[in-house]
Amino acid sequence: MSQTQSKESSQVPDLSTDKTPPKEEVEEEEKPPYYKRITDDDLYRNSSQYRMWSYTADHLREKRSETCQRATEVVNRKLEEFVNTHQDELTEEDMKILKLKASPLTMDEELKLINFYSKKVQVIAQHLNLPTEVVATSITFFRRFYLENSVSEYDPKNLVHTTIFLACKSENYFISVDSFAKKAKSSRDAILKYEFKLLESLKFSLLNHHPYKPLHGFFLDIQTVLHGKVDLKYMGQIYDRCKKRITDALLTDVVYLYTPPQITLAILLMEDEQLVKRYLGMKFGKEETPEEGDIDSKKKDASAPDTEDTESKDKESTKKAPEDINFDKLFSVIEECKQTLKNSESVSTEEAKRVAAKNYYCQKPDILLQKLKRKKEATDLEDGEPTSKKQKLDE
Amino acid sequence: MSNPNYSKEKKVGEGTYAVVYLGKQLASGKSIAIKEIKTSEFKDGLDMSAIREVKYLQELDHPNVINMIDIFMAYDNLNLVLEFLPTDLEVVIKDQNVLFTPADIKAWMLMTLRGVYHVHRNFILHRDLKPNNLLISPDGIIKVADFGLARAVPGPREILTSNVVTRWYRAPELLFGAKHYTYAVDVWSIGVIFAELMLRIPYLPGQDDVNQMEVTFRALGTPTDKVWPEVSTFPGYNKLQIYPPPSRDELRKRFIAATENALTLMENMLMMNPHTRWTTAQCLECDYFRELPEPSNPADIKLSK
Repeated sequence: MSQTQSKESSQVPDLSTDKTPPKEEVEEEEKPPYYKRITDDDLYRNSSQYRMWSYTADHLREKRSETCQRATEVVNRKLEEFVNTHQDELTEEDMKILKLKASPLTMDEELKLINFYSKKVQVIAQHLNLPTEVVATSITFFRRFYLENSVSEYDPKNLVHTTIFLACKSENYFISVDSFAKKAKSSRDAILKYEFKLLESLKFSLLNHHPYKPLHGFFLDIQTVLHGKVDLKYMGQIYDRCKKRITDALLTDVVYLYTPPQITLAILLMEDEQLVKRYLGMKFGKEETPEEGDIDSKKKDASAPDTEDTESKDKESTKKAPEDINFDKLFSVIEECKQTLKNSESVSTEEAKRVAAKNYYCQKPDILLQKLKRKKEATDLEDGEPTSKKQKLDE
Repeated sequence: MSNPNYSKEKKVGEGTYAVVYLGKQLASGKSIAIKEIKTSEFKDGLDMSAIREVKYLQELDHPNVINMIDIFMAYDNLNLVLEFLPTDLEVVIKDQNVLFTPADIKAWMLMTLRGVYHVHRNFILHRDLKPNNLLISPDGIIKVADFGLARAVPGPREILTSNVVTRWYRAPELLFGAKHYTYAVDVWSIGVIFAELMLRIPYLPGQDDVNQMEVTFRALGTPTDKVWPEVSTFPGYNKLQIYPPPSRDELRKRFIAATENALTLMENMLMMNPHTRWTTAQCLECDYFRELPEPSNPADIKLSK
């Protein structure tokens, strides 16, 4: 009977506290003809996260470039209109300035602004003391919104609270809009204004598979597979560090390119490469059914003090690995994911300010001209004092 | 209201947060239902029930779970386009003109359990299973519907509200006000539905929350620490009247048409201790589904004269 169940419980540790299916009874039973079990991978492939929000690197770039291009066209058209309607008033110098300064954001600049504000979403959500999953979902919603929309269409600062508020509701962590507004020092109207737009841009896909659950699962499984060969206290420490790294990973593109378990393994790899290698090696048969001595010789690193018995090891290590998982392939995927994580850099406040100002002025050329005019007048008065020093471009 | 792809023809129902219309998918001519969510009335923006419904229906794809065909916004209202499901199990149970057989019951149980099994496998608790939420398609297929109270399976330390599930179908751990529970609450509900299908009347019709405990424990026995360790530590336990669990013979007398395997299934779904209550997988693999009669072909079940 319970072959199907024990498989599930070993992959879903959260449930094991509640129902422990009788593992011992596992026996080959005659399956009906056409018996096919939907695997957990099948389930993931059916999730909206996979169907709607997973991309290849090329596809992702294409998607961003489309969004950016659409926005660029609008901005340029409006600039042109502005020039046309103000033809008589615009001096040659004005035109020069417009050409130079009032240009739509590039795809790269857009991304910088999105990344900067994603981090802001995280900081604010954490500041509001929201549970990890809510913080994670806030970040995810925000970034997905800006895959569909450009920062020139919706100013990111107007969506920060909206995404956090919707994430709270979606993760079943309800706060009334009034008390949320109070805590976040925002207003009810500002928070709700784009809620519909947000839901629509999210393509009504609200359920996220964050890597925290796989992390929990891998930790339980590592402790089983490498039973007695890992120090529990050490494991506890890297667990906490990994959890933090996961939240950071949500601020990057890896969420679109890899599955949650892949991301988790990549993060584990950053923490302790040896551990991951040993674990995956035993799990997916890099070395065919490792012998006792084999393993012993490998646990030189500090992470694996020799503790307790090893009797349960045999049972675990001879467990059949899923046929379609190949160690080398898996390892190269997570290595690649790790590199992507490593190469993701954060955006400085200065840079973000610069881009935000550019985003603002390209949409408000009149304000740009006025501002420069005023500045020029000021410098004329001060008789040629250098101005560039305190050039401040906030809105 | 208007969406070029669908027509709304007739209002068929109105709930607290939604109006349901019948309509057509214009391209295919297929009948559909549109659940229009009254968003403007909620002061906290999008309503939680609507969010839950959208969230979970978006993920679930199974023959025994209602299919969300599409979803769109119009005039600030959220519209869920659902497959057309003309009736539900509550209507069928109440309809004195419909006769159904043990094989029909078995077919309904099988379909319900399959649907809920899929929901559970996706780490979702339904939390409002009752005959009224088991809709029936024109070809007799049961579809689990209404995910307005659903939630993700909680982590080990998460605190939940026990104020879920319509009273008559509420598991004992919920009646006790447990702050943590899992899949087992849904299995209990299906167990009560199973009993109701056999009796053709509600099995545990409590009049209020206190009375629900009384009714439940009178029928199935008051749980003790022996069958459910530490159950006596729930607040209010001491005030309970202690009833003995029913003997097999008493159950046989109450459920005259039930086979031994049917009673075994029911007993295990209505196990007081949520930890020993069967999972949907255990239910699906039980002997009741392996013995005769074979479950009816859903399309052959006559739901009206």
